[in-house]
Amino acid sequence: MKKTTMNRRTFLKVTTIAGGSLLVGCTFDSPKIMSSANAKENELGLWVRIDKDDNITLFLPASEMGQQAHTGQAMILAEELEADWNSIKVITASNHDEFKNQMLFGMQRTDGSKSIMAFWDKLRVVGAGTKEILIEAAAKEWGVPKTECIADKGFIRHSKTGRNSSYGQLSLAASKISPPENPTLKSPDQFKLIGRSIPKLHTPDKVSGRAEFGIDVRRPGMLFAAVCQSPVFAGEIKFFDEVAAKSVKGVEAVVKIPNGIAVVADTTWHAEKGLKSLRCEFEGGNTSNLDSIKVSATFRATLDEMGKAELSGEKSLDVEYEMPFLHHATMEPMNCTAHVTSNSCEIWVPTQNQEDCMNAAKDVTGFSEDQIIVHTTLLGGGFGRRGEIDFVTQAVIVSKAIQKPVQVIWSREEDTQHGFYRPASMSRFQIELGKDGLPTKWESQIAQPNFISRFIPPLGWLDFDPLAVAATVHDYGMFPDHFYNVEGVHSQHTGVELGVPIGAWRAPPNSLNVFYTESVVDELAYLVGQDPLDYRIRLITNSPRHLSVLKQVAKQASWGKSLPEGHGRGIAINEWFPLDENRTVVAQVVELSVSNRGKIKLHRVDCVVDCGLAVNPDSIKAQMEGAIVMGASATLFEQITIKNGRVEESNFDDYRIARMKDTPKIEVSIVKSESSPTGIGEPGAAPIVPAITNAIFAATGKRVRKLPIGKQKLV
Amino acid sequence: MTELNINGKQYTFDLEPETPLLWAIRDNVNLTGTKYGCGIQQCGACTVLIDKRPVRSCGITVAEVEGKDITTIEGLSEDSLNPIQVAWVEEQVPQCGYCQSGQIMAAVSLLERKPNPTDQDIDRGMLNLCRCGTYPRIRNAIHRASDLLKEVS
Repeated sequence: MKKTTMNRRTFLKVTTIAGGSLLVGCTFDSPKIMSSANAKENELGLWVRIDKDDNITLFLPASEMGQQAHTGQAMILAEELEADWNSIKVITASNHDEFKNQMLFGMQRTDGSKSIMAFWDKLRVVGAGTKEILIEAAAKEWGVPKTECIADKGFIRHSKTGRNSSYGQLSLAASKISPPENPTLKSPDQFKLIGRSIPKLHTPDKVSGRAEFGIDVRRPGMLFAAVCQSPVFAGEIKFFDEVAAKSVKGVEAVVKIPNGIAVVADTTWHAEKGLKSLRCEFEGGNTSNLDSIKVSATFRATLDEMGKAELSGEKSLDVEYEMPFLHHATMEPMNCTAHVTSNSCEIWVPTQNQEDCMNAAKDVTGFSEDQIIVHTTLLGGGFGRRGEIDFVTQAVIVSKAIQKPVQVIWSREEDTQHGFYRPASMSRFQIELGKDGLPTKWESQIAQPNFISRFIPPLGWLDFDPLAVAATVHDYGMFPDHFYNVEGVHSQHTGVELGVPIGAWRAPPNSLNVFYTESVVDELAYLVGQDPLDYRIRLITNSPRHLSVLKQVAKQASWGKSLPEGHGRGIAINEWFPLDENRTVVAQVVELSVSNRGKIKLHRVDCVVDCGLAVNPDSIKAQMEGAIVMGASATLFEQITIKNGRVEESNFDDYRIARMKDTPKIEVSIVKSESSPTGIGEPGAAPIVPAITNAIFAATGKRVRKLPIGKQKLV
Repeated sequence: MTELNINGKQYTFDLEPETPLLWAIRDNVNLTGTKYGCGIQQCGACTVLIDKRPVRSCGITVAEVEGKDITTIEGLSEDSLNPIQVAWVEEQVPQCGYCQSGQIMAAVSLLERKPNPTDQDIDRGMLNLCRCGTYPRIRNAIHRASDLLKEVS
């Protein structure tokens, strides 16, 4: 176990609020407001609130979208606090510098699978510090040495005198004690919660229907708004006639929004009905002449401009791969509830990005941060889509216009056609092999939209896309080497601006690059007549973790054991996040069959994950299972296509996602480790993609180089 | 006026007859456990029971269900003690949880029709979508619920 080190001094700040609850704040750069007598309550009770009745509320930095970051973060804090787990309730914290993620550009947001790894140290310090002041309060009250008191399941106990006090009973006294700067943390062998499959905190509410998602927010006097946005990206309203819409029962207002129009009514149904009666036309836009064939042609022309390599040697490979735009298709469509008054703005939103929700509200209202509150509800899926704030801006605009609380809720069609899609991409690999079958020349070229330049514009000007490089075999010296040790690498990429909004889709860049790399390595293995597992092992010369994960998954999947006719196994491995110092390694083996009519059946997926210390093993398994299903769904079915500048798909009938019957049996094993924990939300989603196509090759001899598999002929 | 019988209670609202049951449940009755997912009966997030049969409430009007017994997730049990809900907790099924009300209602109906479902029955009977990919756990939970139901009876 790495010793916890704080980069900067840690301060804990405690205070009391009405009713005698204990509030604990922890800050790295103690801002002045923390010690101000005029500080607002929510600025003091940043992390922990212990009520007199022993209920403990934790204010956590992570949004909860199914990845169980709430449960994981709460376990870490409660572990050090020695709290009674049954007394714990959790809330996603509202905006404050304290909750910014230092691994995500210092922004308050939840993505990159960083909730556990970025807050591991801090949550422990807050928990341990709070425990120490509770102990001190008890020791003082009893007149005994602190060292004789222990904290245990929500009580401080003094065994010599048999005295016990609950945390709630001690909270008032504890709040008057200065907290320690460097509280003592537990050693892993003392963990009682961490490492156990503690049931997820929100499960009871999610099976009773009580869990509150964004669309379940209800405010007094609240109205509902349906929106219609320009079908061509970045187009605008040319003309609209609201008379018919306003005559629909329940419709109260029609409000123009940046790229469309919102109809406000007393119910969602009336808002939708009003929207259908509204006459409107759009004009302009970025993509009016674009279609999917043109996207492919542009990518290919871009690759051609990079030039072809001269290939010689014993054997060589010259192949082109292509991947489509993908939609997140969260089950809960985009929505946001806002209430803007003359001097305040309150937002209730399922968001992965409190930082930009605040910024959006500031931009629309002109208010200062202390006039705005962002409440985060549970998220009905995120996968990166809810890191965007287009729907938040809309809700604030509409509420500002009518000065009433309003819930903007998108139809599934709006949601599907106004995404921030996983970029489409095309790549070319030209590889020369030596006598030993290993590459002597590795030329890789990728053409795809540069998604990171949205956030860091200079990367666009320089035509540099770290995500075209990460998770691939590359020769960019400034990035960590890929775990495959390959000679003669030359990698190039060019950003292709298409005008289609693009964003993070569960595991950028792995969702593209791992398909490329793991397919190509598989092709090389077959080209030289070697087993795909053995060939990978030959390429991993300096990464013992990767090697051991790969060998373990092969063993678990009975790799090499004979299979019935028409069946095949495929293997793939990846690491997350490839540019980080500490990474999660995941390898998967798929067993599938292809019928003589070309029908694919996934039978079984074996998965091994090394994510450092497993905080909650069951949550890790669940994330692997879910990521495998989502990745398989993308491989088999999913694509967003463009015609006349518009997204052709509109709902689940034409944007098909995996169902029960498409789902294989999944076995997940977690490598035992005492390293600091690393992320688990994303790294399972990428290797499944090439593992499936590699298994198809093993079963049929047909190499799939373009996704989705869809109706491609396999036999 | 439209009269709806939901979870054993009578509700009366001034609704147009073509109002989808989903929106009456959510916005008029204010029972928010039943979710909107697609509006075209594809995803099943809005599944409720009507006279014990599973129906996607986005695709049926209030006029069509007047006088019928409607059960939503909230009406399934007191304190989530329905064996299907118990199995869902024991298998730790939900991730984001958004589709799970509909999944549970679909499973209730499946187990009524097939008290001992095979994997193939589950493939055929469970058509609701889950983007988080909880299908393997839903499958396990249905098998577990089948066992629990036998213990109860």
